Amino acid sequence: MTKFIRILKSGFSNFVRNGWLSVASITIMVLTLITMSMFLVVNVVLNTGIKSIQDKIDISVYFNDDAKQGDIIALQEDLADLEEVKTIKFVSKDEALKRYEEQNKDNPKLLESLKDTENPLPPSLEIKVYDPSKLDVLTPIFDNEKYKLIIHKVSYKENKTIIDKLFQATQFTKQVGVIATLAFTVTALVIIFNTVKMAIFTRKEEIDIMKLVGATPSFIKGPFLIEGAIYGVISTLISIMIIGTILYFLAPTLVHYFGGVGDDLSGFIRSNIVWLVFAQLFVGIFIGTVSSWLAVRKYVKIS
Amino acid sequence: MIYFDHVTKIYEQNEGEKIEALNDVTLHIKPKEFVIIVGHSGAGKSTLIKTINREIKPDSGDVYVGGINYKDLKKRDIPYLRRKIGVVFQDYKLLPKKTVFENVSYALEVSGIKAKDIKERVPKILELVGLSKKSNSKPKELSGGERQRAAIARALVHQPRILIADEPTGNLDPKNAWGIIEILLKINQLGTTVLMTTHNQEIVNKLKKRVIVMKKGKISRDQEMGRYEE
Repeated sequence: MTKFIRILKSGFSNFVRNGWLSVASITIMVLTLITMSMFLVVNVVLNTGIKSIQDKIDISVYFNDDAKQGDIIALQEDLADLEEVKTIKFVSKDEALKRYEEQNKDNPKLLESLKDTENPLPPSLEIKVYDPSKLDVLTPIFDNEKYKLIIHKVSYKENKTIIDKLFQATQFTKQVGVIATLAFTVTALVIIFNTVKMAIFTRKEEIDIMKLVGATPSFIKGPFLIEGAIYGVISTLISIMIIGTILYFLAPTLVHYFGGVGDDLSGFIRSNIVWLVFAQLFVGIFIGTVSSWLAVRKYVKIS
Repeated sequence: MIYFDHVTKIYEQNEGEKIEALNDVTLHIKPKEFVIIVGHSGAGKSTLIKTINREIKPDSGDVYVGGINYKDLKKRDIPYLRRKIGVVFQDYKLLPKKTVFENVSYALEVSGIKAKDIKERVPKILELVGLSKKSNSKPKELSGGERQRAAIARALVHQPRILIADEPTGNLDPKNAWGIIEILLKINQLGTTVLMTTHNQEIVNKLKKRVIVMKKGKISRDQEMGRYEE
């Protein structure tokens, strides 16, 4: 216990005595944490965007007016058997008309003209799938001879090209996000490792002296690890303050421009602030201690 | 206390040239002795001292210190061995960022000595070497003689049974050099075995202690009440 307290104390006083090297290490670590957090936030924005787009991707199967109820139910059951299908909703001619009227309630002339004719809207099935990239599995069912006669039109066939392109774009953005996050993390690790190594290199003589007066390797390493952990804790505090300030000023703008995304973002921050602090704390302490350990390991070995 | 049995250490230079730092050295130092090792630069004095502190591992032969054969010593035991041997280095090797008090107490801290005991022991040892007034100074604020005293205090604070001093007066003027020698004599009188290397002819001749002369890695002369002779 006495030894542990000594290591702790020594770590703190080394941190204070090292002055500018401590400042350099903390600066780099703050930048890393901010970058990582920002990518996390960008990921949330992207995921929310993709989710809202994916939710909008559904397929409407329009039937001929003479389609029999039994055939529609049979198709509905066949589709429900597929595990890719999330929901199926039948929209009758009357319901379709009601929706159309609701959508165009500000256009009384158009509604007036509808009253003179028979309901022109077809009955339909609205299908949602879990994964829009797997829409193709539905095609064989629609192409089935049994249903070909009753189906007037399948909406996704027309929209498929647009959906595909959109999907490719979102996938690409996601991949770029992941790769960029990884690249930044690795770069930060290397930079911090080298900063700590430089700090330790300038103290090589000090470490040699410690060895000569009978300090065990763990007693020498301990303060360096504590120092690394202190870098992590302080960097987290600074990074959280900076990110908090940025988001505080940025959130209203985001809400203004992106509507839902901005709401999601501030909601995300509010509900995940504790998690975000702990994640940063974990990453900060991890990077600090691991890079210190890697850097000091070579120098404390007794040959 | 210290026994070298046919110890050899050879360094290989870049071009394959071999330097015999210790060449079949056999040596016996008894407890409470005061031994001076003299010789030119490169004669093997420092290698001999570093072998005792286990900074250097010999190529062949056996080294016994306090009854332990170094061949049986495991790496993890080395720090504990070093706590039993006090070493004073020519270049002092003080921790630059620590004060005199902290430098001395560090040697006790590594052994897990309680803070209360450290507070009692360090001032006593600083008084013995005459550095009580400088206890809060950093090494760069001290003169050469004061630094060497601080180094001696650190080496002694463990109450080691052996004190090794490698050229302790090498960087000092005669007045300061004698101050250091007096401290070493006092420690020896208190029962510590002292082993010292030096170039200083005057000191060797005045001390009239056992003198071991080294030449090209070999012991060329070993004499009680010896003198420095070329």
